[in-house]
Amino acid sequence: MTHTEKRIIINKIVMMLSSLSAAVGIAFLLWILTILIINGIDAINWNIFAFEGAPPGYEESGLKHALIGQAMLIGVSTLIGVPLGILAGTYLSEYGGLTSRLANIVRDISDIMMSAPSIVIGSFVYAIFVAPFGHFSGWAGIVALTIIMIPIILRTTDDMLQLVPTALREAGFALGAPKYKVIMQVVLRGAKTGILTGVLLGVARVSGETAPLLFTSFNDNFLNTDLSEPIASLTVTMFNYATSPYEDWQKLGWAAAFILSMFILSLNILGRLLLIKRKKK
Amino acid sequence: MATIIDVPEEKAIQVNNFEFTYAGVSEPNLKNITMPIAKNKVTALIGPSGCGKTTLLRSFNRMHDLYPGNTYNGEILFEGRNILAEKEDMIKLRTQIGMIFQKPTAFPMSIYDNVAYGMRLKGIKNKTELNDRVEKALKDAAIWKETSDRLKDDANGLSGGQQQRLCIARAIAVEPEVLLFDEPTSALDPISTQGIEKLIIELKEKVSILIVTHNMQQAARVSDYTGFMYLGDLVELGRTEELFVTPSEKLTEEYITGKFG
Repeated sequence: MTHTEKRIIINKIVMMLSSLSAAVGIAFLLWILTILIINGIDAINWNIFAFEGAPPGYEESGLKHALIGQAMLIGVSTLIGVPLGILAGTYLSEYGGLTSRLANIVRDISDIMMSAPSIVIGSFVYAIFVAPFGHFSGWAGIVALTIIMIPIILRTTDDMLQLVPTALREAGFALGAPKYKVIMQVVLRGAKTGILTGVLLGVARVSGETAPLLFTSFNDNFLNTDLSEPIASLTVTMFNYATSPYEDWQKLGWAAAFILSMFILSLNILGRLLLIKRKKK
Repeated sequence: MATIIDVPEEKAIQVNNFEFTYAGVSEPNLKNITMPIAKNKVTALIGPSGCGKTTLLRSFNRMHDLYPGNTYNGEILFEGRNILAEKEDMIKLRTQIGMIFQKPTAFPMSIYDNVAYGMRLKGIKNKTELNDRVEKALKDAAIWKETSDRLKDDANGLSGGQQQRLCIARAIAVEPEVLLFDEPTSALDPISTQGIEKLIIELKEKVSILIVTHNMQQAARVSDYTGFMYLGDLVELGRTEELFVTPSEKLTEEYITGKFG
């Protein structure tokens, strides 16, 4: 065998191995999605949106309580987490820069926070926000989700702002603009699609969290909109229903899984589309 | 040893024994520079890469203040005051001395808002006045024809040459006394370059201009006075036609005849 022939064969082997690995990954993803869609669509009906939870065997049983609870938990966490994340990211990029020690420490810490197991964050919030009050609450869940969301938005904002050319900032200053106006009107504006992508990915990430909610907002099988009380979420409801022995509850679990996955999937797709649009510009 | 002529015209700016040092550097990056900048004339700065011409240009609107640790010495006199003084108001200075950058720096907003940006900073809110001044600035920057029917469009949709003229419109809209051009055509094609050069010559009726350029032909085409810089020194400043034909300094002659640089 000549040297060239050997090289061609090795090339083919490497290509086949990597294609095979990619195929295995995609196959599992498609499998999960298929099962989810088959069982999910089967379980979806109008009752799900019309009724709260009910004991097994009841016809009028749904996910209304979990959908509303989930929307409140995610909505309020987003309202708190997004401004904090964007402002902190702005500090890192515009006031700290790449040379500031403090900014780099914050960067490292948020990188660690991003990969911290969410159950750890859940038990932390349990210790400071649930145990002292003696009961689970929606607010505790919101605190946990916000803690998970902030580092994601902070780091994306930081990265996106650093992509804004220095000359653009200087051009703002050269016209006599004070720093806060350059940041608000030029830099943040220039990075807005990138930041929006970060926000969407951050929201998508916390939407699927279960472990921290088990420790904090816990669950309620009926509709509750008082955040100082335990409140239902799609994820915890799904966990309870899916692990129950009753077939109709398991069906509701599939419905919850389907709705949640579709929500997260569309956030991710929207984020991707924004990124593509940004690159085209 | 430097040969610096004095200008017969009124001076927009007078630089005396100016030195500049970047943060963390022990030797000054610009050494003992003394030069006049004539009013309503174009003064060009030429020299090899790294000679300090952009550093000098960015001292006139104190852009170096944006980064910590840089130090100025000597004086830059403008309208009877030393703009290097502690108490100098950066916002006022930068509306009096405007700047055009190497790459077009259109803000991520509409064409109209780009031009109105500096005026709004100055507190002009009256719609009619803003409209009039935006139109005038765009006309003065020779870009009105291409933009008059799409003022609300995103400025990033314009071509590079158009964006650069938009940046010039934005800078002249606040009616500065002096305009600093930092290699304004190095990112542009030849036709856009020609347009910008023509514009620079027209603009000197209203403002005094200082331009940094890599391109000696450009300096010869647009400027009245040319300064040659080398390793942080201003080697020679003279009338452009004299400096390019009969330079006084040997170093200048070697540079313009292409012996180095």
